[in-house]
Amino acid sequence: MSARHATPEALLSHAAAALERAKAAGAHVADACVESSRAFTVQVHGGRIETLKQSGTLGLGLRVIVDDAVGFCSGTDLSPAGLDDLARRAVALARFSTRDADNGSPTPADAGTYAGADLQLFDQAALELPVERKIDLALELERIALGADPRVTRTDGALVSSSGGAFAIANSHGIARAWEGTSVSAWVVALADDRDGRQQTGVYGMTKRHLADMASMESIAREAARRAVSRVGARSVPAARVPVVMSPDIAASWIGEMYEAFTGEAVIKKSSWLTEKLGTAIASPLFSLVDDGAMVRGLGSSPYDGEGVATRRNLLVDRGTCASFAYDHYHARRARTALTGNGIRGFGSTPGIGYHNLYVPAGESSPEAILKSVDRGFYFDDQGSFGFNPVTGDYSYQAQGFWIEKGELAYPVDGVTVAGHSLDMLKHVAAVGSDLEFRTSTACPTLLISEMTVSGNG
Amino acid sequence: MSGTPAPPDLSRLVPRDLVAELLAIARSGGAEFADVFAEHTVLTGLSFDEGRVKTASYSVLGGIGVRAVIGEQTGYAYADGYSAEDAREAARVASRISREGRGAEPRAFRVVDAKAPFTLSAPATLVLDEPKRVDLLRRADAAARGHDGRVHEVSASMATSAKRFLIANTDGVWAEDTTHLSRLVVSALALDGNERQEGFAAAGGCVEADYYTSERTPESIALEAASGAVLLLSAREPEAGSYPVVVCNGWGGVMVHECFGHSMEGDTIRKKSSIRATQMGQKVAADGVTIVDSGLIPFSRGSFRVDDEGTPAQRTVLVQDGVLVGYLWDRLNGALTGNASTGNGRRASYRDYPLCRMTNTYIEPGAHAPDELIASVKRGLFCKKLGGGSVNPADGNFSFQVTEAWQIEDGKLTHPVRNATLAGNGNDAMLKIDGVGNDLAIDGTTGSCGKDGQWKPVGVGQPTVRFTGITVGGTAV
Repeated sequence: MSARHATPEALLSHAAAALERAKAAGAHVADACVESSRAFTVQVHGGRIETLKQSGTLGLGLRVIVDDAVGFCSGTDLSPAGLDDLARRAVALARFSTRDADNGSPTPADAGTYAGADLQLFDQAALELPVERKIDLALELERIALGADPRVTRTDGALVSSSGGAFAIANSHGIARAWEGTSVSAWVVALADDRDGRQQTGVYGMTKRHLADMASMESIAREAARRAVSRVGARSVPAARVPVVMSPDIAASWIGEMYEAFTGEAVIKKSSWLTEKLGTAIASPLFSLVDDGAMVRGLGSSPYDGEGVATRRNLLVDRGTCASFAYDHYHARRARTALTGNGIRGFGSTPGIGYHNLYVPAGESSPEAILKSVDRGFYFDDQGSFGFNPVTGDYSYQAQGFWIEKGELAYPVDGVTVAGHSLDMLKHVAAVGSDLEFRTSTACPTLLISEMTVSGNG
Repeated sequence: MSGTPAPPDLSRLVPRDLVAELLAIARSGGAEFADVFAEHTVLTGLSFDEGRVKTASYSVLGGIGVRAVIGEQTGYAYADGYSAEDAREAARVASRISREGRGAEPRAFRVVDAKAPFTLSAPATLVLDEPKRVDLLRRADAAARGHDGRVHEVSASMATSAKRFLIANTDGVWAEDTTHLSRLVVSALALDGNERQEGFAAAGGCVEADYYTSERTPESIALEAASGAVLLLSAREPEAGSYPVVVCNGWGGVMVHECFGHSMEGDTIRKKSSIRATQMGQKVAADGVTIVDSGLIPFSRGSFRVDDEGTPAQRTVLVQDGVLVGYLWDRLNGALTGNASTGNGRRASYRDYPLCRMTNTYIEPGAHAPDELIASVKRGLFCKKLGGGSVNPADGNFSFQVTEAWQIEDGKLTHPVRNATLAGNGNDAMLKIDGVGNDLAIDGTTGSCGKDGQWKPVGVGQPTVRFTGITVGGTAV
């Protein structure tokens, strides 16, 4: 295990070896996806290192098609004997799948060649960030969070990590693509003392491709501390139908949940609440939704998708109109439509439809102006993990935030839920903030939804 | 091709002398403790979707992870595959957690003597070959489609995992084991005009092959999914507010797992980030509520002979008649607080260091008949099927998605309710229990718990339980 991930060229040669064996074993069409990565993560707690962890991953996934039926194998043994075993098993498994003329892997002509801007996915400084430096940064994050407010007396830890990786995709039609990238992350969880021995949580951080794009540890730590302290004294409120201001984190989580409805697979099966909505108005004209695989330095960017198809910027919602759906190769064939570059896969699975960088373009309103416009309502800025139904678009989350009175945050609120239906909510988007910021691969500005149901026991 | 081939002999791939060498390297910086975890896991999948076998898959995940510990500090590194050189490099990286001193002398290996809580003679993973699995999935598909004309689409899949692992440490622990998990999942989509609803059902666990032909047939799983989808077509929206809630037995235990169990895990107790850290001997649940974590439940996904640190599985009482009596410990957090491990050191794979985790967590049965608990509610909600749940252990805020509920009016179930979310704070949720049924069921078929990015199979359970008041999210006011 060397300290660095394998080169794109080395991965392409593994892929070529796997394709050769697949062909020899009887595959008519095959594609191989190879991943290598090295990551190093530092976690600190209480002013000391808690864990240092190095990850070293190398694996290959092989999809074969025999008589229009699919077999798939993956493994971490890339020796000649290991690849032989994967190829033979994949071909044998294909006999148990149903023949389907839409199975396949794209040709170079279908897949296209990426001709956009240099994506700048790789940063030498991120790759070479020394372990000692990561330790110092994590300790600094925790120290500043603890010093930011007297009520922050402990943290649930701070984390700094960096990674480098390469990805290759090759198929028997002659596609052979590979690239490499890096990432750096910093996160901290501040805990603030509240009444009766309770405590409030403030989580903040970000992941970037380039070290230079990271915010200062100072600003990350202060934001985590601010979030924790702002929730001290939170209480519930009675049930009411009111305007809801979604913070950028909450709004980003909602668009991530809604994405499944835009996948060709859900639309074909009619398990999407957007089935038959293509070309119709589904949202307020203020709302657009974009998935951009070709965003410079984007965390979800890559020149090609997991099937070797060139990525691009896709407009899913255009000023309120449902403008397009997303496809991998199989479902694009099923729908008799063009490829969109959304075949996403890791080495351990067959491709599925997924997004690259999903976001709502910034609007005109400042977040302050949006708040000012609300006479009485709820500012929604933290939520539970489950509460979305991907088939119906029904939305109902445990929520934390603030009660809004006369355009101001009056007091912190918890022990409530916020509920609605995505189609109604989209149509009731009354303002889109100007505060679009990418901290992960999903981003959304502040949104004002003119009416939702808040439930509580206040 | 028959089912999954039996996993290889790991001690041949990772011999004892190599393990001893890795432990020596890991300790070379002065670490007090080190362990080596090697694994070979075969995962298979078959998906039957839109009336056809979409994919048949087979994946092998294998490698070696090395941990070095000094005080509360952990160094960890892993490498995919079984190359001795890669494993030595991982051990060197892990050793760097400590820069001074000399680690204690390692003890000679002795094989952990632990009795298996149950044994499988013909596990589904090994015995069911692809044609047999395809047949089970076809039967599920046909049963779901045949249930009702409104069932538009069906997806059935079977996944198996056969995991062989080896754990050895500087205390002299040496243990090897194999676990066999399988699961059959059906989802059914029902359409009626503009309405669409999905129903979902799963069965499986650490089970024999004949479980799928005798205990949970594909037809029974399919019927549960299809009837659930059709029922939801006519369900109403829940009323927003705070009122009495009765939660079903079995999978309903996901509430005690989230609301209570996480706050009893040794890492949060040692670091005092859990409100429970100062509550030993105090009243934390209503009278009559006894809460247990046990790795010994037969055929559950959450059970094992030894945990991922080589500690034998055990039964730990957390709450006895409402009073907090015990915490869950892994080796690290136990050692730092003067407690022995309770067999709760678990890791997702060799790619992860162990965390303190639950196994099968459940509420012991009480005296009430389940019908009686519903009959005494004037206006409330009966939660018949729960989806996912989550908690923030630091502030206690929890939420659960209720996939199928029924309105209770004057003690009777009146109409189905969809899209309800339960929310509250775990700090007092167990105190709000005012009735415990006599119908304990432990669901070890499908649960996976996520913590710090690691997913691990668990079981959850309870009898029917009534809460005095929980906030129910809904759109109707």
